[in-house]
Amino acid sequence: MADLTAAAGDGKIVAGAVVAGGVGAGSIQIRALSHVYAGRDGESPALADIDMTVEPGRFVVLVGPSGCGKTSLLMMLAGLRAHSTGFILCGGRPITGPDPNRIGVVFQEANLFPWLTALDNIAFPLALRHVKAAERRGRALEMLRLVRLEAFADRYPHELSGGMRQRVSIARGLVQDPPVLLMDEPFAALDEQTRMAMGDELLRIWSETRKTVVFVTHSLTEAVYLADQVLVMSARPGRIIDRIEVDLPRPRSYATLSAPAFAGLRDRIWHHIRAERA
Amino acid sequence: MRPTAASLRWIIIAALLVLWEVLPRIGAISPLFLPPLSETVRAVITDWPEYADALFVSLGEVAVALVFACGGGILAGAVIGSVPALRTLLLPVASSLYAVPLVILYPVLTVWLGIGSESKIAFAAINGFLPTTLATAAGIRTIDPNLVLAARSMGATLAQRVTRVIIPASIPTVLAGLRLGGVLVIVGVVVSEMLTSTAGIGYIVTRYRTVLDSAHVFGAVLLIVLLTLLFDTLARFLERRATAWQPQAQRDRRRAARAEAGIVVPAE
Repeated sequence: MADLTAAAGDGKIVAGAVVAGGVGAGSIQIRALSHVYAGRDGESPALADIDMTVEPGRFVVLVGPSGCGKTSLLMMLAGLRAHSTGFILCGGRPITGPDPNRIGVVFQEANLFPWLTALDNIAFPLALRHVKAAERRGRALEMLRLVRLEAFADRYPHELSGGMRQRVSIARGLVQDPPVLLMDEPFAALDEQTRMAMGDELLRIWSETRKTVVFVTHSLTEAVYLADQVLVMSARPGRIIDRIEVDLPRPRSYATLSAPAFAGLRDRIWHHIRAERA
Repeated sequence: MRPTAASLRWIIIAALLVLWEVLPRIGAISPLFLPPLSETVRAVITDWPEYADALFVSLGEVAVALVFACGGGILAGAVIGSVPALRTLLLPVASSLYAVPLVILYPVLTVWLGIGSESKIAFAAINGFLPTTLATAAGIRTIDPNLVLAARSMGATLAQRVTRVIIPASIPTVLAGLRLGGVLVIVGVVVSEMLTSTAGIGYIVTRYRTVLDSAHVFGAVLLIVLLTLLFDTLARFLERRATAWQPQAQRDRRRAARAEAGIVVPAE
């Protein structure tokens, strides 16, 4: 049922233009996207026939077996990597390269600049755009408050814990107030307890800012816990094989994890992944 | 109370200085081989104008050679380190050349450039160039490519990626290269002055050696040691200032690695 509604929500392509709902600032449309790597052993297809639509403000999670191309897809969405065919729209306009006004990116490693303090790291994207120092500081402080690290403004990355570094990285991704936040396994390098806490932290930030989030993960639990919708990808060449609406109530909490509906959704994803891994 | 490593080091240095004074005085060592410390210092003081002139010449040569060796070495290292094709092509050659005793070049350089300052500068610059290049090339490769990717995702242009990411990230490496290159440049200048020259601190060593005036020879040696220590202290101070953002452990590791590679100035 969820599959049908999701499919019906997809736009129709008419002469290269998308006629669909959700062309708001934070919307994402991907149409007929494929990618073929020209490797040493000839061409190898990496992604095939990706179609997806994300309404503004939704939290969408991409899961799939290792090597299915979910990170590649995210990097293409971020404008950091080229794709072979098809197109990607964000806010109704095509993605031609990195555009921090439309899309913020958070990577698996926090990738903070070790020679800058937490505050200066967050202000870095503004400095690239020659925003005045006072305004830079003000906006970076605001972001530090959002991720609850205002007491750590002057710390260098090596003086922060892994979870704190990733929060600074999220703050940096949001500092230019882009409507879309892309996250590539942002909590994969953290221990389980920190990961749980970071999930709640992210949901709080998301509910306060109402960004569109596209989140890549290996963890089925994380996927169901965070998402409005989970897109399940097949093994290489990656294609979307299921679109699962997660209608668990929000705000979610530890109790959500033991709800029968939660287990049912996770089983459904695992069923797909196991079939793909075989 | 157990002495710390630092205080122990100072005790050893002081003991050596005392031995330098005492051993020749009591006749344990002939003053021809080792004149007492006090006589060495007196030789430097009485003939200070001569030493000062020589130091001035040598320092000038060191300064110019440093610009060539470190400027060129850091630039070459940065290019070789960041272009994979050049790295494969040139790095083995550079490493092999590093093993060649470069002092064999010096006679050739005197034929080309004469026995004035030019040949000293050329030799010292060549002496410092390769190690600086290799150190910088190795350092550039340690820059985390994810930092550059992150900057790109924030819309950094190529120029911004170079000035705001690659250069700050490579400063510790470059400074380490500068320190290494600088010491080798000083060695190059002194050695070439000792071989064929008419001026400079190395020339003073050779000149007084031929007339068996040990006090003046050791006076010059003392000045060279002080000069090298001064440079090293200055370079390390700069390095510490520029890498204040690094975790202490990382700095210690780097220092330890360098010590293992024998890049520490003796008598430190």
